[in-house]
Amino acid sequence: MDIGVIIAGILTLAIYTFLYKDNPIYRAAESLLIGLAMGYVLVIYWQTAFMDRIFSPLLNENDWWVLIPLILGLLMFSRFSRKYSWLSRIPIALMIGAGAGVAIPAMLYARTLKQISASVMPLITESGGFNFEALVVIVGLLSTLTYFYFSREHKGIIGKVAKLGTYFLMIFFGATFGYTVMSRMSTFIGRIDFLLSDFLHIIK
Amino acid sequence: MPTRLPLLICLVSGVVMFLQYFSRHPVAKLIYQTVTNDWWQVIFAFTLIVGVAGFIKITLRKISQKKDRTYALIALGGLLLMPILALIGGTNIESPFQWAFENLLAPMQATVFSLLAFFVASASFRGFRARSIPAAILLGTALLVLVGRLPIAEHISEYIPDLTFWIKNYPSMAARRAILIGIGLGSMTTALRVILGIERTYLSGK
Amino acid sequence: MSKDKIRWIIFAGLFLFVTLAYTIDIKMVSSPSYEVQKSFDYIESLPEGTILMISFDHEASSLPEVQPISLVMIRHAFRNNLKIVGLSLFAEGTAIGYRTLNKIAAEYDKQYGVDYVFLGFKPQHIAAILGMGESIYDVFPRDYLGNQTDTIPIMIGVVNYDNIEMVISITDGDRAVQWIEYAGPRYDQKVMTGLTAAMITSYDPYLSSGQLFSVVGGLKGAAEYENLYGEVGKGNRGMPAQTVAHLYLIVMIIIGNIIYFRNRKRQGRSS
Repeated sequence: MDIGVIIAGILTLAIYTFLYKDNPIYRAAESLLIGLAMGYVLVIYWQTAFMDRIFSPLLNENDWWVLIPLILGLLMFSRFSRKYSWLSRIPIALMIGAGAGVAIPAMLYARTLKQISASVMPLITESGGFNFEALVVIVGLLSTLTYFYFSREHKGIIGKVAKLGTYFLMIFFGATFGYTVMSRMSTFIGRIDFLLSDFLHIIK
Repeated sequence: MPTRLPLLICLVSGVVMFLQYFSRHPVAKLIYQTVTNDWWQVIFAFTLIVGVAGFIKITLRKISQKKDRTYALIALGGLLLMPILALIGGTNIESPFQWAFENLLAPMQATVFSLLAFFVASASFRGFRARSIPAAILLGTALLVLVGRLPIAEHISEYIPDLTFWIKNYPSMAARRAILIGIGLGSMTTALRVILGIERTYLSGK
Repeated sequence: MSKDKIRWIIFAGLFLFVTLAYTIDIKMVSSPSYEVQKSFDYIESLPEGTILMISFDHEASSLPEVQPISLVMIRHAFRNNLKIVGLSLFAEGTAIGYRTLNKIAAEYDKQYGVDYVFLGFKPQHIAAILGMGESIYDVFPRDYLGNQTDTIPIMIGVVNYDNIEMVISITDGDRAVQWIEYAGPRYDQKVMTGLTAAMITSYDPYLSSGQLFSVVGGLKGAAEYENLYGEVGKGNRGMPAQTVAHLYLIVMIIIGNIIYFRNRKRQGRSS
C-alpha cells in the first residue's frame, strides 16, 4: 500500500479521536496541521508574490520600480518594534485606502443597485396573470429591510412589517441550515470514502 | 506624523482608486494596474509573512518556557517541513512538496472540517426546537430542504423538490437580498468613512 | 444519561449509518435542478477551442464536496475539446487546481500549454480579479511552472477577459462573489460557480439578478451533473450515504422536539 495513504489514514483517525474528547493524539495532529498549513502558504506566497513580483523583475529586467512595494512591504516588519511600529500604518493605509476606493463603485453597482433593480418585477404578466413570486420577493425584501431599520421603534405598522421580516429571515436561515447540513455531511462522506476505499480497501 | 501621514496616504489612494473607475485613459489604467497589481499584492504578501513571523515568535517562546513544548515543536516542524521540501524538490506534480500537501495537509484539513457533521447532528438534537412561531418556521424550512434535496424526494412526491426550490428562490432569496443590500450600503459608508479619515480602527483607533 | 454519553451515542450513530450506507453501491438517479441543467447545456453548447477560466478558490477542507464538481466539469470541458486556463485565488487551491487539471488532462490526452495551463496563485484576490481585466500577462507574468505566460501557446492572444468565455469559480466561500462584483460590472465577464451546499443560499440574489450565470451546488449538484454527463463519479457514489445522513438528522430533530414538548407538558402540569 502507498505509504502516503497509510500516513493520511492514520492522521485522519487521529483527528477523529477528538469525537471522544480532547486528547494528546488529536492535539499533536492539530499542531502539525497548523504548522504545515503555514509552511504551505509561505511557499506559495514566496513563489507567486516575491519571486514573480519582486525578485524576477528586479534581477532579470532591472525594474527598479519594484523597490517601492518592497520597501512598503518591509515597513510591515516595524510592527515588531515599539518605537517604529507606526511605520507599518503606511502600507496598511495604502491598502485600505485603495481597497475602499475600489469597493465603493463595486458595492454601489453590483451589490446595491443591481439587487434593487432585480427586485422590481412586473406583478401582472404579459398574459394578464398575476406574478405571485414578484409579490413575495418585494414584500420579503421590504419587510426584512424594515426589520433592520433601527432609526424608529418597531411599533404599530412598522412593528408588524418588521415581524413579517423576521419570518422571511427565518425562512432564509432555515434553508441555509438545511443546505449547511448537506454540506457538512458531504465533507464527512468524503472522508468515509477515503477511509473505506483508499485506506482500508473495503470498497472499490 | 504617525497618524497624519497614514491618513493622508489613505485619502489619496482611496480618492485616486475611486476616480480611476470612471476613466479609461492610459494613465488612469497604469496607476490602477500599478497599485492593484504591483503594490497591493506585494504588501498583502508581506502582511502574511509578518503573521508567520509572529507565529514563529510565539512558538519559540512556548518552547523556551516549556509550555506545550511538544505541540509547539510539532507545529514548528510542520512549518519548516513545507519550505524545505519545496527547496529540495520544487513544487511540481511529482515533488515531495505536492506529496506532503496531498497526504498530510489536505486529509487533515478535510477531516477537521468533517467534524462539523457530528456537531451539527448533536446540535440538531439538543437545540433545534420549535419554541416559538419564528423557530417553527426555521425548523420547518430546514426539514423541507433536508427532505427536498434528497434524491428520493421526487419519488415521494414531485412537489417536494419544487417547493424546496420555490422557497429557496423567492422568500429565502428576498431575505438574503435584503441582508446583501444592507451589507452593500454599510460597506460603502464604511469605505467612505475610511477614505475621509473618520473610521480609524486600522490605526488602532488613533 | 449524561450529556457526554448522549453526544457519543449521536456521534456513533452517525458514523455507523453513514459508513454502512456508503458501502451500498446503488445509483440514485434524480432529475437535475434547473441550475445544473443550465450549466451543463451551456458548456455543451460551446464550440471547440473556446477558452474557459477555472479558478480553484477553495481550501483543502472542502475538497470532498467541491472536487466532484470540478472533476466532472473539467471532464466535460475536455471531452468537448474546450481549453482551460486554471488559476487559484486561494493559496491552498493552488496545489489542488494543478493536480486536478493534470489528472483529468491525462485521461483525455490533453497537452499542457496547448489545451490547458495552470497560472498558479496570486495574493489579494480583488487586485488579481481587477488586474486580469486589463492584462492577464501582468497579473501572471509566469505560469505555475515558471514559463513566461505570453509565450505559452494556449495563452497567446488571451490578453484579458475579452478572450475568456466564462469564469468558473470553484469555491467554498465568497470568492465567486468577488468575481461577480468586480469582473462582472467592470469587464462584463460571465461567471458560473461550483460551490459547497452551505453557500448556495448566499448566491441566490446574484442568480436571481442575472449577475451569476448558474450554480452547481454541493455533492448533490455534482451527482446531477455526473448524471447528465453520463458517469458515476464521487457525487453519485455519495448519494445513498447523503440520504441516510439527512434522514438521521431529521430523526434527531424530531426526537429532540418530542422530548422537548413532553418535558414542557410535564412542567406545565406540575406548575
